[in-house]
Formats: sequence, structure tokens, C-alpha cells
Amino acid sequence: MNNQTPLAIDVRNVTKTYAMGSLEVQALSGVTFTIAKGEYVAVMGPSGSGKSTLMNVLGCLDRATAGSYLLDGVDVSELDDNRLAEIRLRKLGFVFQGFNLLARTDALKNVALPLFYAGVPGRERTAAAQRQLAEVGLGDRARHKPNELSGGQQQRVAIARALVNDPAVLLADEPTGNLDSKTSEEIMALFATLNARGRTIILVSHDEGVANHAQRIIRLRDGLVVSDGPPAGR
Amino acid sequence: MIYLEEALRVLFANKVRSLLTMTGLIIGVGAVIAIQVLGSSMAGAVNGALGDMADNSFIVAPNGVQGNFRRAAIKLTDITAIEQDVPNIEQGIPLGGQNFLVQNGHHQARYFLTPDSSQPFNDSPLLYGRRFTSNDIADATNVAVISYRSYQKLFPHGGDPTGRSIYAGIHRYVVVGVLAAPKRGFINAQFGGDITIPYTTYVNQYVHDGVAGAARFIVADASRMNLTEIAVMKQLKALHGDQKGLQYQTFDKSQLTKGINGIFGVMTIVVALIGAVSLVVAGIGVMNIMLVSVTERTREIGVRKAIGARRGQILAQFFIEALLLCGFGCGIGLAIGLSIGWIVNQFAIVKVTGYVAPLPWVESLLIAGAFTIVVTLAFGTYPAYRAARLDPIEALRYE
Ligand SMILES: Nc1ncnc2c1ncn2[C@@H]1O[C@H](COP(=O)(O)OP(=O)(O)OP(=O)(O)O)[C@@H](O)[C@H]1O
Ligand SMILES: [Mg+2]
Repeated sequence: MNNQTPLAIDVRNVTKTYAMGSLEVQALSGVTFTIAKGEYVAVMGPSGSGKSTLMNVLGCLDRATAGSYLLDGVDVSELDDNRLAEIRLRKLGFVFQGFNLLARTDALKNVALPLFYAGVPGRERTAAAQRQLAEVGLGDRARHKPNELSGGQQQRVAIARALVNDPAVLLADEPTGNLDSKTSEEIMALFATLNARGRTIILVSHDEGVANHAQRIIRLRDGLVVSDGPPAGR
Repeated sequence: MIYLEEALRVLFANKVRSLLTMTGLIIGVGAVIAIQVLGSSMAGAVNGALGDMADNSFIVAPNGVQGNFRRAAIKLTDITAIEQDVPNIEQGIPLGGQNFLVQNGHHQARYFLTPDSSQPFNDSPLLYGRRFTSNDIADATNVAVISYRSYQKLFPHGGDPTGRSIYAGIHRYVVVGVLAAPKRGFINAQFGGDITIPYTTYVNQYVHDGVAGAARFIVADASRMNLTEIAVMKQLKALHGDQKGLQYQTFDKSQLTKGINGIFGVMTIVVALIGAVSLVVAGIGVMNIMLVSVTERTREIGVRKAIGARRGQILAQFFIEALLLCGFGCGIGLAIGLSIGWIVNQFAIVKVTGYVAPLPWVESLLIAGAFTIVVTLAFGTYPAYRAARLDPIEALRYE
């Protein structure tokens, strides 16, 4: 099956060790899996099991201590900081639990920021950002600053920002962690729509209800994959 | 340009802080430029005034402070001997001055009568008539060239006074020339007397003991002025019995110019020192506030990096912020410095010297520009570099 669908992600034996003085903390102890293009995967596991660490490695924000990582066919485990930034810019979109929007900057400019770093000229930038905002249902909030938006709206802006460079993979670490259940449902519906249009999505969640939106759940414990398959309900 | 837009927003979001940070630059650049404006207008005033002074002659006089001052006094015979024996000397002219009530009818005022030759010490232009001719000198005629000031006093009704007579003591002089008003103020007046008469006439009428005191020598080759001055002083000592204690001094235009330029040189060094100190102090302020800014915005930097900003792009953002801060500071300093310089120039220097110096725009702009660039490079680079080097994960985790 791997040979039929092109792989978005291919991690083999990835480990991550944090040095805490003389003590070594192994956050990931050899993780191996592949994710095909168009898949919608949830990563679950108890607190401290290494979910965020894995997401940071997948998101090229951090480097694995050992193991190999192919993103969209490119080996990213040996790249320098600037090449990693380039990968984050063009191939990855990251959504955070705390939204992480630029505070004094309106929604449109927040969404347009990755395009600026990609060197897209101003007019095109604004048009593309406006289009992306409309796609997450916030076309009429372009000039609002983050503090003039609700939590759910802020997360939509963050999702629009993550998608504006048309990345190969959308990564979300507990994207609904700061939202109430109704707003969570709206965000999950948005993810489902995006996946239906072919977007590869990996999200971390504590919440089985949220994770059940995915087609596949990878469960971690103590830095290892303990199960990998479709949600129990299906 | 998004960097500029964002930097502006940050600076204006922290108005008070930005302004306080700029104070050092404002004061430093303001002071340097104000002093620079004043220095250049004063230099212009002085050099402009010296411009009319003859550059082919020098004055020699006994040192004022010496035991044998009397013995050292230059005699008419000394001048003749030097004219004959010292090479490069064209003419020797005794100096001196006689105070008289000078009269033209009932218009009168006290003036110094001073000797001069056909090659005058003060080369300023004439309003009427002519200078002394070599015939005036050779025949010791009773003629006078008068200053504009004395012309106004003695001929209050104006008009061309040449050919008319003025009286001083028992002598009558025919006015042959009137100097134009000194265009550059007071300094000129010191080089030219109010009433000048041919030096031969002066000697005949007023020097009865054969002692001139001081003398002016016109040289053939101005480039050998220094050597000639030394030779003259040596000859004077020899003529006066080679007394050990005898001392003479000389003045010429290039000496005066050098002296004045020396003063401005010292001023330039002082300005440079003020500049350097304020540059460092202001720079440390800029660096401090930029480091604060980087720390405050660690999370923001983390977000930008997570989105995909390269190091250079983060560096550029903070660098431009520092540049803008410095640019604003130096710009305000430039405006204040030029204003202070202009005001003092208008209301003090022009009043006193009569010389209108142009504002040194280009130099001032260069100074402000150089300050901006140097402070930004020296003190803005490190904070920007720190921002660019931040690890995205750690920056995102920063509270
Ligand atoms: N920067 C770090 N330095 C040292 N140890 C770390 C660091 N980051 C994470 N760890 C450790 O690595 C392990 C995995 O952490 P991680 O944040 O990936 O867990 P998580 O699954 O995301 O937990 P949670 O559900 O609470 O977010 C933990 O034991 C944690 O203490
Ligand atoms: Mg986590």
C-alpha cells in the first residue's frame, strides 16, 4: 500500500533525548511509522508520553537525536537551521494550543506572514491571505486584531496562517485544548473539511471524542508507539 | 517594506521608551552638529577676514617681554641694512602710529596716522581714488588713504573726497583714496589704520630719533617667507651687537591662518571626543532597549521561526528596528543641532563679525548619517543576532 500512495511522512527509529544536567530524559525511544498523503491521524497518549516532542520533530522545529525522518520524500534529519526554516515555511503548517498569533497585527496580516517570509509580493500576499481567511469562515474579520476575536476565531486565523503556503502536512498540537466543547466541534469540523479536500493532518489530543474524528490513531506511551490503527468506534 | 512597517509600529507602540532611548543620540548628535555649525561659521568669518591681508609681507617686532626692550627696538638704519643685506627682501617699511585730532573743516575725530607703502598691508578694495603710487613713496608726498569709517566721520555729506584736504597737527594731507567698508566686519580694521600716509612721509614728519620700533618687510618670493624671517631676526640681533637676551618675533598671514586653524583643529578634536562619548553612551542605551525588546518578544520570535522565518529575516527585522530608532534619534538631533547652530550664528556671529556663513548642510547630514550607521552597526547587531539565534522551541515555550 505504501508503494501506491505517496508518503507524506516516514519516520524510522526516531529517538529524542533531553540532557537534564547529568540525567538523561528519553522523550522518544524509537518511533517508527509512515503517514500517507491525505491521511488524518491523531496522536494520543498520557501526559509526558512524548506527543509534543514527536510533533516538534515532525514539524521540523526540533531535531531527532537519532533515526531518520523523510518529509514529502526529503530527508530532513541532516538539514541546517535555515534549510529547516525553509521546510517549515513551504511544507508544513503548525497549529498551536495557544494560537500564537502576533498580538498587534490584524488577522489578515497574521495570515499573510508566511507569504512574506516566502517572498511573495505584497498585493498577491493580501489576496491569498484574504482567500484563506474566507476558507476558514472569517472573510469578514480580516481587519480584526487577535484581542478582538473569540478563541475559536483566533484558532481559525491560526489555521488559515498554517495553510496559506499550501503545506504538504498540517500539524496541530492540542488545537482545541484552550477551547470550549462547542467551539472545539467547529474546529474539528473545519479539520474534517480540510481533510476531505485532501489535506494531510496530524493532530495531538487528549480527548477521545476529538481523536475519533481522525481515520487513524497512533498511541504513545513512554516514548514508544503502543498501538496504531483506526479509532475503536469504526 | 513589512520590516519597516512593523518596526515603526513597535517604536510608536512604545513611544516613551523609544524617546527616552533616543535622548542620548539626540543630545550627542545635536551637540556635535551645533558645535560643528558654529566652528565652521567662525572659521569662515576669521579666514574671510584674513583674506584681505597681504600674503607677501611679514611684520617683525621686538618681543614685548624682555629686559633689553629698548635696545631691541628696530631703527630705521636696521631696516635699510636688512633691505640691502638679506636676500629675498624687496622693501622694508617702518611701522608706527601717531594719534591726532584729524579735521576737515569743523568735522573732526581722533585717529591714528599710520605709515604704509604702495603695496599695502590691508589689500581691501577701494571705494574712491587710488592707493599710494611708488612716486608718493619716493617723493614722500603729503597724501592719505582713509578708511571708510573715517570717511563717514570726516565727510559726512558723502561724495568723492579725493583731492580734498584733511589736517592733522601741523600737517595737511590730500585724500587720494577711500577704502571700501570692510565687508567682513571688525577683524579687518585691525590690519589697516584709519588714516594711512606714505611711510616715507611718516618717517620725515614723525620719526626724529631714527627708531621705528617694528617693521614690515615685503618679500619677493612668498614661498621662502619663513627662511627670510629667520634671516631678518638673525640680522637684527647682529645689528644690535648680538646681545644674548635680544628677542624678536614675526607675524605673517600663513602664521595667523595656521594659528587659527590650530584652534579649530583643537575644537574638532573636542567635538570628536564629545561625539565618541555620546555615541558610546547612546549606543549602550540602544543596545539595552533592543535586548529588552528581544527578550519581551521571545515568543513572537518563536512564532515567526515556527512559521518559517529564516535567521536572516529575524535579524533584518530587529536590525531595522534598531536602525529606525537610531535614525529617528539622529534625525531629531540633526534638526536641533542645526537650529541651535543657525540661531547662534544669526544672532551672535553675524552680528559680531558681519560674516554670513552658510550652514554646513552636507557635513551635518554626513555626521548624522554616520552616527546612525555606526551606532546601529555597533550596538544593534548583537541584539538582532541574539534574536536570530533563538531556538524556536525554547522561544515558543518562553513565558
Ligand atoms: N525541553 C525539555 N527538556 C527536558 N525534558 C523535556 C523537555 N521537553 C519535554 N521533556 C520531557 O520529555 C517527555 C515528553 O514530553 P512531551 O512534552 O513530549 O509530553 P506530552 O506527551 O506532550 O505531554 P502533555 O500531554 O502533557 O503535553 C516528558 O517527560 C518531559 O518531561
Ligand atoms: Mg504536549
